[in-house]
Amino acid sequence: MTDLIPLTALGATELRSERFGALTIAEDDSYGLASLTLRKGQSAPTPFGLTLPEAGFATQSGSTSAIWTGPDQWLILGEGKGQTDFAAEVLAQAPQASVTEQTEGLVCFDIRSDVEVLPIAALMSKLVNLPPENYATGRATRTGLEHMTVFLYQRDERHLSILGMRSYAGSLWHALVTAAARLAQAA
Amino acid sequence: MLIPHPLLGLRDSQEFTYLGDASLMNRPDPAGPSAEAEFCDYVFLRDNPAGVHRELWFHEQGDRSWLVVTRNTLTHEILGAELARNLPARGAE
Repeated sequence: MTDLIPLTALGATELRSERFGALTIAEDDSYGLASLTLRKGQSAPTPFGLTLPEAGFATQSGSTSAIWTGPDQWLILGEGKGQTDFAAEVLAQAPQASVTEQTEGLVCFDIRSDVEVLPIAALMSKLVNLPPENYATGRATRTGLEHMTVFLYQRDERHLSILGMRSYAGSLWHALVTAAARLAQAA
Repeated sequence: MLIPHPLLGLRDSQEFTYLGDASLMNRPDPAGPSAEAEFCDYVFLRDNPAGVHRELWFHEQGDRSWLVVTRNTLTHEILGAELARNLPARGAE
């Protein structure tokens, strides 16, 4: 049988991680992802005990979190479920809703800061046009970053997850590290 | 230019795509007796006043919702935005 070597979104066998001053940018492939959409007139389910969030927010329950992506639509993230059939698990939790597998359709880059929220907000202010309150813990939104669509999810004061389309993971990584390197150089 | 999204607050207009005038939501009844004349108007004729327009904008790099944005083309002032899904299908002016 052919030996197949799994590659990361950036085309390597190891996950990439780079450090710039107080910031670390790291690729993360541990998440199982599925989108959940309600049919007309349905009330919101509570998959894995999650209360599905309101517009512009995310909620977390244990290793599962949900990001609001549109009216009656959410993206469900399962930590450590990247190698499993996560959509089937979500569908079992919300059998009436429409659930679509998104794992490996999106790539997740984590930005972690050694100190408070400031370095993350300073980096993102170079990249996206959002008001600063979007970097409060528990906020999540979709926006454009160098013409690429991304989801931003502020997990806590020192941790921002950026989810972008896997097909342009290289371009997204380039945008992030270029801005981070310039900030580190200027500091 | 910032568009006041009813759910997400002020957002950069670069996140949006413009479709056209909100009167496009008033599609004529194709089974009606004067359907041909009404569709001729619907497809080819638009009012283009210098002033307040109601326009359809799609939040493409956002929550993918359609908005009806009221905009003044003389001053570039945005007077309001509402979710198109909350408006009756044939009721937009």
